[in-house]
Amino acid sequence: MTRKSTKKEREELKKQALRDFARHVNPQKARILTNAGLDIIEGKREGTVVWDITGTRYIDCITSAGSFNVGRRNPEILEALKKALDEYDLGVFLLCSKPKADLAKRLAEITPGDLQYVMYGSGGGEANDFAIKLARGFTLKTEVISTIRAYHGHTGFSLAAIGRDEYKKPFFPMVPGFKHVPFNDLKAVEEAVTEEVAAIILEPVQGEGGIHIASDEYLRGLRKICDEQEILLIFDEIQTGFGRTGKMFCAEHSGVVPDIMTVAKSLGGSLYPISSTIYREELNDFVMTHPFTHLSTFGGSDLGCIVGMAVIDFLIANDIPQHAAEMGERFQMGFDELLKRYPDLFMEVRRKGLMMGLQYTNDSIGPRMSYQLAQNGVMAIYTGNDPSVMRLMPALVIQPDEVDFVIEALDRSMAEIMKQGGIERD
Amino acid sequence: MATADEIMEALADFQVQCNDNKRLRRMQRDWSKVLHFNALDTGDAFTMTVVNGEITRNEKGTHGTPDVVIDADSETMCDMFWGDINPTQKYLRGEIKVKGSQEDVMRIDAITAVIWPEV
Repeated sequence: MTRKSTKKEREELKKQALRDFARHVNPQKARILTNAGLDIIEGKREGTVVWDITGTRYIDCITSAGSFNVGRRNPEILEALKKALDEYDLGVFLLCSKPKADLAKRLAEITPGDLQYVMYGSGGGEANDFAIKLARGFTLKTEVISTIRAYHGHTGFSLAAIGRDEYKKPFFPMVPGFKHVPFNDLKAVEEAVTEEVAAIILEPVQGEGGIHIASDEYLRGLRKICDEQEILLIFDEIQTGFGRTGKMFCAEHSGVVPDIMTVAKSLGGSLYPISSTIYREELNDFVMTHPFTHLSTFGGSDLGCIVGMAVIDFLIANDIPQHAAEMGERFQMGFDELLKRYPDLFMEVRRKGLMMGLQYTNDSIGPRMSYQLAQNGVMAIYTGNDPSVMRLMPALVIQPDEVDFVIEALDRSMAEIMKQGGIERD
Repeated sequence: MATADEIMEALADFQVQCNDNKRLRRMQRDWSKVLHFNALDTGDAFTMTVVNGEITRNEKGTHGTPDVVIDADSETMCDMFWGDINPTQKYLRGEIKVKGSQEDVMRIDAITAVIWPEV
């Protein structure tokens, strides 16, 4: 039997990991996270909870921006992966495979409308890259309309689609042909449309942008514009997919079916990277003539596809989207109380299911709340494109007592910030 | 409480440290900004001008349109420019207030990380 390590040994292990990370991975990231109280070296992880290797417990509301919808190390997904490892590996990406076919069939069944074909990738940026390539290739048009504050990934076409210059400036010039219009503004889209527009790409709920929710009218209006102007509509559901917003896909709230939908993050069940670009049958005409147009060594690996199927089975068998909607309502009751209690600090909640953004009064509050929440047992981080917004995206398997724990942690953290001051509106 | 002259002295030292650091100058060579600093307890204000990573001027008062505005009490401000405190920790505790883009906040943090790695 191995000896259990002492607290002192675990603390030394943590210090060493942070030192090595700073020395060989990213020193400034290590410094910023340490200053922000998020110098957490993950040890045990289970469901909604993660323990730092020193034993400190946190409710994980970061979840890699909604990558752990089924919870950390979900036993059913873990079992599916373990079983798959007895027989499978990545598989040769060039070949057809049963897991690839099975997952694609399953995705076609559960996604809205007539989305039918799947191109696999290993991450969200890659999925959006292919979506844009497909749109350009199919339409033979070059322009793409994206939205201000949008986030679609850090790879080539996706980076050009991002609506934040800070991510792009060091790498100018970007892929040409991208226009950015204000989110939820149909008139701006109408004015941006030309005969050269191949696609409109957006997140139904902007995640990094500060949890901004597209109205149903906006999405329906976009669909109409796209139908009239022969433009393809791309929904990036990488953060909103797989039950996050209280439906299996966010598109279902408005009833709008996109021509292309991208998914990633939670499809990997917190265990295996995989992404998919799912598109309508008609668009497959481009792939028919370019069957090897997007090759991805790790994309749609056999193991990843098996994990993806287990994730979908778990979400459906446990009606997780409905559970997310209910837990979101419970959060809302807590938020309503906090809004009354801290009106000079906490201005607004933007929420769809368990995709939740808390709008504070100024840019400094997001980072300060991250620090305070970490002291109170909750891992949470402000949105990348707007630090005045705290993003809360817990695992969808969160239970009522855990929701209450997060609300209490928010209460204590806000009380502390109020004491400190510096809460004036920007 | 620190006087305006004491803060100017700290700013002058900060300028030398930054401008003499080759690594920092290379890192920040694409960063040109005007920064305003307000000492909230004394009402003193200061302007720092950065051109291609070089601090070209420190002045009393506010001049030009700022890209970044930093508010703190005079003692904290003085300590910050002497490298006696970790400004990010003060920021996260609400003792230093920064108005500016996240990119600029990260740049400022990177400056302090390079010239005072031990703070």
